[in-house]
Amino acid sequence: MLNFSILTKYFDLYFQGFLTTIEVSIIGLICSFILGVIVAVMRIAPLRILNWIGTCFVEFIRNIPLILIVFFFYYGLSNYINLSGFAAGTIGLTIYTAAFIAEAVRAGIQSVDKGQMEAARSSGLTYIQAMKHIVLPQAIKIVIPPIGNQFINLVKNSSILGLVAGMELMYFADYVHEKTWISFDTYIFAALFYLVLTIPLSFFVNRSEKRLARSY
Amino acid sequence: MISFRNVNKHYGSFHVLKDISLEVNQGEVVVVIGPSGSGKSTMLRCINRLETITDGELVVGGIQVHSKQTDINDLRKNIGMVFQHFNLYPHKTVLENITLAPIKALGQDDKKAHETAMFYLEKVGIPEKANSYPSQLSGGQQQRVAIARGLAMKPKVMLFDEPTSALDPEMIGEVLEVMKQLAIEGMTMVVVTHEMGFAREVANRVVFMDEGEIVEEGKPAEFFAHPQAKRAQLFLKRVLNH
Ligand SMILES: Nc1ncnc2c1ncn2[C@@H]1O[C@H](COP(=O)(O)OP(=O)(O)OP(=O)(O)O)[C@@H](O)[C@H]1O
Ligand SMILES: [Mg+2]
Repeated sequence: MLNFSILTKYFDLYFQGFLTTIEVSIIGLICSFILGVIVAVMRIAPLRILNWIGTCFVEFIRNIPLILIVFFFYYGLSNYINLSGFAAGTIGLTIYTAAFIAEAVRAGIQSVDKGQMEAARSSGLTYIQAMKHIVLPQAIKIVIPPIGNQFINLVKNSSILGLVAGMELMYFADYVHEKTWISFDTYIFAALFYLVLTIPLSFFVNRSEKRLARSY
Repeated sequence: MISFRNVNKHYGSFHVLKDISLEVNQGEVVVVIGPSGSGKSTMLRCINRLETITDGELVVGGIQVHSKQTDINDLRKNIGMVFQHFNLYPHKTVLENITLAPIKALGQDDKKAHETAMFYLEKVGIPEKANSYPSQLSGGQQQRVAIARGLAMKPKVMLFDEPTSALDPEMIGEVLEVMKQLAIEGMTMVVVTHEMGFAREVANRVVFMDEGEIVEEGKPAEFFAHPQAKRAQLFLKRVLNH
């Protein structure tokens, strides 16, 4: 039986961490989505130099561990700028997730019929306008499931902040653990907090996937 | 209005357009015919720079299409294009399909764009479909919307790339009828098509292409009655005898 006194005793800490996890996730979600779409468009835009920058970004970021990116911002830059654990962690997480979102969005854009871009461009719209009004809205439909999964990963990966004093759920779980030395229960409670976030999110992803499949 | 002057185009080592020279005058309807793979679409798509050219000159309305100084978006506002597969925007209603470019590229206000769109929808005979989505329309209706979409920009030229090839036979007529009406009203048109009846009846000039070359051009009556080039004779024999 779980020792619920841990939960009641340290609820405030858990809850504070939980709120920070939500905060990191929301900021990360919005920023990595925007950055991911920009990088995806860079990778396929009709301009070599942009393709090259986009590809380098994705390949570099995807192929190193998340913790390295976070440590880079936390320790690596500490001689030049002093980022808090929260800031360093959120930036690292955003950049890391953006690389994966960029790949998903790129695949989505490329699956939109080329005739759509041609029709839009031949009517005098700029490349950016055609992307914004015609291609991206259709790509999003295809991209919702993989991006949803990236968001769920983002929530889970936010636990990395625990390692740089980011004051989120994992950080406080570690703290409670040090106080109580009851590992199993302490971390089970942390897991429950994560599930409270990720299960509705995955439910929502499934539903919007179905809804989008039905539209037009 | 449109002039090709010794235009060449290569795809790598493949010479797809060979020394094309062609004049299309204002108000003229030029129909381009020829076997599959002869470069008809490629030639048409050079006119609004959907394809680039390797050398030569291509001038539309006095503007060098392939010059670096040319604002291609400005030029394209004056050139409507209709595609074989319609290429309507599936996530937008018929009305939104038509008003998008007038609003975003010409800067028209919504009301004006809306009125113009309805005017052209009337013209192509389906005003009642304004709020439908493309997927709810028949092929013939979709292609008519695509034509209305092109016209709403009030272009000086309309390009058609096999506009009826993807249609069921019973819908071909309604689209050709709209195009014929446009021709009568004086629109400058370049039409790639396999509809010989349309060429005969509506074209001012027929251009026959084969293997990237313009092999022959002439008035439809003369061209169809007495094609000069051997390849044109063979082609006509093949398409008219089935
Ligand atoms: N992107 C490309 N790369 C290489 N070759 C191409 C490309 N696009 C077209 N071609 C080739 O150029 C030739 C001309 O093609 P085009 O589409 O202009 O022919 P077409 O006369 O329109 O034929 P159809 O009647 O089948 O539409 C074809 O042999 C085609 O395979
Ligand atoms: Mg073609």
